[in-house]
Amino acid sequence: MSDILLSIENLETCFRTPEGTIHAVNGVSMKLEPGETLGIVGESGCGKSVTMLSILGLIPNPPGKVVAGKALYRGQDLLKMKDSEIRHVRCSEIGMVFQDPLTYFNPVLTIGRQVSEPLEVHRSLSHKEALDQTVEMLELVGIPRPKERLNDYPHQFSGGMRQRVMIAMALICSPQILIADEPTTALDVTIQAQIVELVKSLRDRLGMSIIWITHDLSLIAGLAQRMAVMYGGFVIEEAPVEDMYAAPQHPYTLGLLGSLPRLDDVQGRKLVSIEGLPPVLFKKPTSCPFAERCNFRIERCNLENPSLRLVDKCHRVACWVNPETRRENQ
Amino acid sequence: MLTYIIRRLLLLPIILTSVTILIFAMMSLLTPYERASLYVSDIPKQSGALEGIIEKYGLDDPAPVQYWYWLVGRTDPETGEIKGGVLRGNLGWSKTGKGDVAEVIGRRLPATIELALWAGIPMIAIGVWLGVLSAIHHNRLIDQLLRVFSIVGYSIPVFVFGLLVLLIFYARLDWFPPGRLSDWAAQIVQSNNFTSYTRMYTVDALLNGRLDIFWDAFIHLVLPVITLAYLNWAYLLRVTRSSMLDILRQDYMTTARAKGLIENVVIRRHALPNALIPVVTVGALTLIGLLNGVVITETVFNYPGMGSFLSEAALSLDVVSVLGFTLFASFILVAGNLFVDVLYGAIDPRIRLE
Ligand SMILES: Nc1ncnc2c1ncn2[C@@H]1O[C@H](COP(=O)(O)OP(=O)(O)OP(=O)(O)O)[C@@H](O)[C@H]1O
Ligand SMILES: [Mg+2]
Repeated sequence: MSDILLSIENLETCFRTPEGTIHAVNGVSMKLEPGETLGIVGESGCGKSVTMLSILGLIPNPPGKVVAGKALYRGQDLLKMKDSEIRHVRCSEIGMVFQDPLTYFNPVLTIGRQVSEPLEVHRSLSHKEALDQTVEMLELVGIPRPKERLNDYPHQFSGGMRQRVMIAMALICSPQILIADEPTTALDVTIQAQIVELVKSLRDRLGMSIIWITHDLSLIAGLAQRMAVMYGGFVIEEAPVEDMYAAPQHPYTLGLLGSLPRLDDVQGRKLVSIEGLPPVLFKKPTSCPFAERCNFRIERCNLENPSLRLVDKCHRVACWVNPETRRENQ
Repeated sequence: MLTYIIRRLLLLPIILTSVTILIFAMMSLLTPYERASLYVSDIPKQSGALEGIIEKYGLDDPAPVQYWYWLVGRTDPETGEIKGGVLRGNLGWSKTGKGDVAEVIGRRLPATIELALWAGIPMIAIGVWLGVLSAIHHNRLIDQLLRVFSIVGYSIPVFVFGLLVLLIFYARLDWFPPGRLSDWAAQIVQSNNFTSYTRMYTVDALLNGRLDIFWDAFIHLVLPVITLAYLNWAYLLRVTRSSMLDILRQDYMTTARAKGLIENVVIRRHALPNALIPVVTVGALTLIGLLNGVVITETVFNYPGMGSFLSEAALSLDVVSVLGFTLFASFILVAGNLFVDVLYGAIDPRIRLE
């Protein structure tokens, strides 16, 4: 167990809404090793963000509640921790970068104030030391003339710069894990690439593990070692990145990879998109959540929800359908 | 920030010009005879004298010409003396106050300011505090209770609440008297060994070291203050609550918590400054709006401030006084709005640095 940094086991999170209880996460399990980068993909609403917020105790309650599971960080269950204990894990051990760098910054506090704040909480530094460290960190993430920008407000930065600042804020206490929740979705393509390069170089320098959440499969290829595919609040496939691209197993993953434009595409091949909409889960699924949209559906899919099974070395998939059938029909 | 203030200041003359034109339009509805009284301290007894005045001051001139005279005054052809002119502070003669309108307003103003301050400051503090409390305990018992209170407060008209309070605490229980001072205290205040610094009795009493007078003035203030504060307090509570609820839903609250801050700090440092931005505006405007409330409150409690002066003047059809008061009130409103704008810029960097 010593080589596992974070282990999420059967995590379940619900939201009570006036329309009914939404089962956003229904038994997610995943592991993260030191120094490893794990990519998580899945359609909007499949529970990626909720999973990450759950393990840090950041789900707003009400309406949300983590109802089952464990999140072991270095053997300690984050979900069982008292408020005061989990607070010391946040940012200090596990830093988080969010999707939209504008709405996730406080509009009325200066950047210097916001970036240095975690230091003030987790490290007992003097104000001057904290500011010095903030300037260093801002320099590291590529903010030009960081010292002069300490007193600027978030709206005075461009989108890309703002995301760099957000990364600086998440890494200021040198956490073991960086959770990046779609950090590039709100940015345009060239800026996206810059941010990915930045995170890679920071990873090489600081050696943290990364959980990188995205819609964009092409981003993960050059960044992550392993990837997990989520659907309807479950992880439905998990494998090293090369295996996943070379031999995707789950019909949903096949669809996702099919809908990804490739440079080596044979001319004229149509982009495949997955038909139908992702489910809104008002009750915990008892069948395969993807069954309705699946082209390979067999009878069993409507009766039982498959759990993750090892199909190859390190490659796990949750599907009842025979792998041969899937490949032939591809 | 500086350009922001300057831009606002440039708007001020435009607004004031519109207000004066509006007031003048209202005044043009009066006959030349009625308007003649704007220029004289006493209505002359002999017949034909008023016609002379109308002639002398051009009260039957075209309206724009008259507006100009009204603004800057008019040189008396005989004595060379400039008479009237709102711009020169000459608002006309008040029958009700038996003096220049400006002078009467000056005389009555301290009492009203005293009342507004005593009502306004606790009102804002309590309203904001309860609003925040209500929001962070959203949908729990305390929130429900406060909501009932604020709805009740919001739906009772000032005069009903004031009369109710007066009936219970004055007529029935005889705890708090109406007026501004008891007779004995009024004598001391008017005597030579009492220095009037501000004409606000509670403040002056303290400055003179007279605790007995402070207490007497305070006792007289209690009922009007409660009446004024209660109603606006309910409004502020609602504004603060909804603004705070909105901020608590913002993404950056998650960021603040993800940093490992204590909930208290999250609320105080990250939520409050944002939530208070709209509250500052509303709070300041409510304070200005108290001018509105004082008319009724002062009348109900027989409190001798600007409000009761206005209702006296209105009842005795003293148009000149009413117009003077209106001009003064709109000036305060414009100045207050300017102040709020500047304040807004000061607390919200997005506006200050735009
Ligand atoms: N505060 C909330 N109240 C009610 N339901 C919520 C809340 N937060 C999330 N959910 C529900 O949980 C489900 C999963 O949401 P989540 O944010 O994890 O999706 P996601 O995979 O991160 O999607 P995206 O790619 O759009 O960020 C959604 O169906 C959403 O409706
Ligand atoms: Mg998300």
